[in-house]
Amino acid sequence: MATKASQGMAVPAAMPDSSGEKAVEGVPVPTFDWMGLSAEWGTRIKPGEHGLRLSDLNVGIYGEVPEVWEDQTRRPRGALPRPGVPPLPYNLRHKHQMWADSAANLYEEAIQRRWIPATDVPWSSLKPLPDDVERAVCQVCTELMQYANTEIEIITYWQDQMSYGYYEVKQFLATATFDCARLIEALRKRALSNGGGLGQESRGLVNRMILESRGGWTESAVYLYLMRGSYMMLVLRGLLNAAHNDAERMIYGKAIEDWARHLTYGYDHLKYSVSHQAGQADILQTLLTLGEIMMGAELQESTTRPALAIIFGGGIKGGRTVGMETYLHLVGDFVRNYLAVCDWLGVPRAEMLHPMLKKYLEY
Amino acid sequence: MAVFPSLDWFQKVRDVYNSDGSLHKGGGGACHTTAAFKVNGQSYLIVFEGLKCADIRTPTDSELSEADFVIEMPFELWKAMVANVQSHGKADLHYTLNSLDLQQDEGIAYSPADDQYRQDLFYRYNQNFQDFFDASARVETTFA
Amino acid sequence: MSEAPVKQQEYDLDTSWMQHMGEWGMRAEPGKRGLTLAEIQLGSYGDIPEISKNMSGRPRGAGERADAYRVGAYGVRAKSEIWLQNATFLYEEALQRQWSSATDVPWHTIEALPDAVEEAECLLCTFFNEVEFVAGDVPARWVANTTPDFFEPRHVLLAQVMDESRHMDVFRKRALANGGGLMRMSGATSGFVGSIDLARDFTEMSTRLHISGEGAVLTMFRMGELFGQNEAEKIMYRLCAQDEARHVAFGVMHLRFLSETAPERREEIEFYLDEAEAQILSGVQNPAGTQAETAEALAILLGGGKEHYDEGHKKLLVIRRRQLKEYMQRVKTAGFGERFENGRSTVPQQYESAI
Repeated sequence: MATKASQGMAVPAAMPDSSGEKAVEGVPVPTFDWMGLSAEWGTRIKPGEHGLRLSDLNVGIYGEVPEVWEDQTRRPRGALPRPGVPPLPYNLRHKHQMWADSAANLYEEAIQRRWIPATDVPWSSLKPLPDDVERAVCQVCTELMQYANTEIEIITYWQDQMSYGYYEVKQFLATATFDCARLIEALRKRALSNGGGLGQESRGLVNRMILESRGGWTESAVYLYLMRGSYMMLVLRGLLNAAHNDAERMIYGKAIEDWARHLTYGYDHLKYSVSHQAGQADILQTLLTLGEIMMGAELQESTTRPALAIIFGGGIKGGRTVGMETYLHLVGDFVRNYLAVCDWLGVPRAEMLHPMLKKYLEY
Repeated sequence: MAVFPSLDWFQKVRDVYNSDGSLHKGGGGACHTTAAFKVNGQSYLIVFEGLKCADIRTPTDSELSEADFVIEMPFELWKAMVANVQSHGKADLHYTLNSLDLQQDEGIAYSPADDQYRQDLFYRYNQNFQDFFDASARVETTFA
Repeated sequence: MSEAPVKQQEYDLDTSWMQHMGEWGMRAEPGKRGLTLAEIQLGSYGDIPEISKNMSGRPRGAGERADAYRVGAYGVRAKSEIWLQNATFLYEEALQRQWSSATDVPWHTIEALPDAVEEAECLLCTFFNEVEFVAGDVPARWVANTTPDFFEPRHVLLAQVMDESRHMDVFRKRALANGGGLMRMSGATSGFVGSIDLARDFTEMSTRLHISGEGAVLTMFRMGELFGQNEAEKIMYRLCAQDEARHVAFGVMHLRFLSETAPERREEIEFYLDEAEAQILSGVQNPAGTQAETAEALAILLGGGKEHYDEGHKKLLVIRRRQLKEYMQRVKTAGFGERFENGRSTVPQQYESAI
């Protein structure tokens, strides 16, 4: 550790000492044996134009992100270890199991772009809608709440298994679950404030697929972000396009911002995983082959399909024509986006795409 | 010019605090609490609702007993704090509410109902109360 | 999104789900604090089950379907295990009072400090960087294990995870902002019996985490604000203390609810409090206790330098006494104050004999 000559600076005591006494009897003699114990001293990071961000801290050893983090304790990256500290079950200790270069910046962005449903959403803009449309909106709100709940449950399942060596990812995922809680809150408020109520629960095909993916966080991320997340983003954009009032516009608009961060992390992580772990592309191919079946089945049977059609068509009557057409086109866009991202990841799916998804390419 | 302590002084501080959003520092935010300040035997009830200081008034005994918490200090300490804010534009390192609280053996905040949950509101909303007293830098003040 | 072409084809449209929705006709109105979670506790949507049978993860009040997959496997399904009366209030407060360590802390106000003071500050920051996400990891695990019928406390816990993430980040920033660096880890929160993350019951975990652990850390954050050498440190510690006080409030109010609704568990909770107090008093998990190296760092900071260590240690003991008092007050508010009167707890004697 570099030594520094004292600059003879005085530091005012935190509390004025009024006793006038000298050394106090009974004060344990300090050891100060912690002093001088630092792997790298002399770090001085200044705030930039966007403040002092997490990514600014990656200098010297503090910025060295190893491919494997052997430590199973809560040792902060760059802190010295202490002998004898028992391990904890941080089973995810390889960088390729969770890393995304964008995680630190996404964390800071999430904090900057916070919103508050209770007071930011213009709830007074809600006006009665035709019963069939209100039911459709409430049904979609309920489905999306379950999507967000699934995301909470799978992230929180994995989060405490992620080692501290990749704390940026843990911090970002903390913002992601907070986003999910907020969306559940906002959608529940929407469903209960315009003469409606909650819809019927989802059967949960894809929810189950996500929650049962216990092989690793990457495997969960494939289903959570590449399949479910990509679809959800298009649903949100469709809802924004068809929003009936400023309250819905705000909720869907903010959700799109939040989920754009989730997808950025997800895609970024999957790319890192595929490019840094031999065989990972093949594993993803297998997972996606199975996932496409589940996703295709859910797209076919889910109540989201008729509900969105009704929203896009302005009612049941329009839902049977232009509404459903718009929905099918949305799913077509999902499949096209999905294929494009798979190509970018190095996991091409076009030739092997399951017929239950392939059929949507005609829209 | 307002005399500290007086209802007039606290109400002028309230007006300053409510009028300028820049006085509400990051980490404050909406706050819902009813507290009281006790200065020289006189009490002043303060009500925060959301981002505003909704009211400052002289409380009845009943209202005082129902306050979430009370901040009470010797007059000389109140005066020193307010003077410090006046001369520095805001409390300096030693005259923040939290610092003053920890410098006194028994602290400066207590719950009349002896309810620590309510007394902890002094900690939960500390930034708002600090911003409130920092706003007093813009109120020309004399001391009683 | 590309533009959808308009066709005249007519498609089948299943509308049978419209007959299986939740209670209808809800019209929640914003109150004076906006449209909070409290305003939407309408009809059956505000009915919190004593025991949840929701194993499919559906939102509370949603229409059930017989063929929904039971994906939940939730361990926490009894209301008394996790509930607190003001969960909606605490969650809404958390949303309102978020802050950014990057921009709300005036980092430019930090100036060079004497070596010993900087080392002491960096040791504390290393400690907080290490321990804060215990309170992130552990509540997160319990969220996954709790039925969404109790989404209100779940959401408070998710807000806590968010807060702790921010704390982990702000202390790392401070350690690396002023010519110092991270120091040696403390190992204070690792896996041995009685530690927070090994608890297999939510209330046990919450007692250790929220009431004991976070209560102690709250005092440390307040001390940090007291000895902060610049505006950046004052604000950093003050805002962390605000968050921490909210977490403590969760623990107090949950314990209060449990004490009122599950009296059969009182003796069990008393044992958790016994263990927590033993650790507080021994200093093992009390960073402001008499033995921890963090206590030495605190004494340096409170005294204003290594040469004023004795004065600082005296001041630390005064504040530690306050910490014991507030702990007792919180446990009393939670409905377990009798332990301080019937001789079960030794904290009162420690409090009286301190200084």
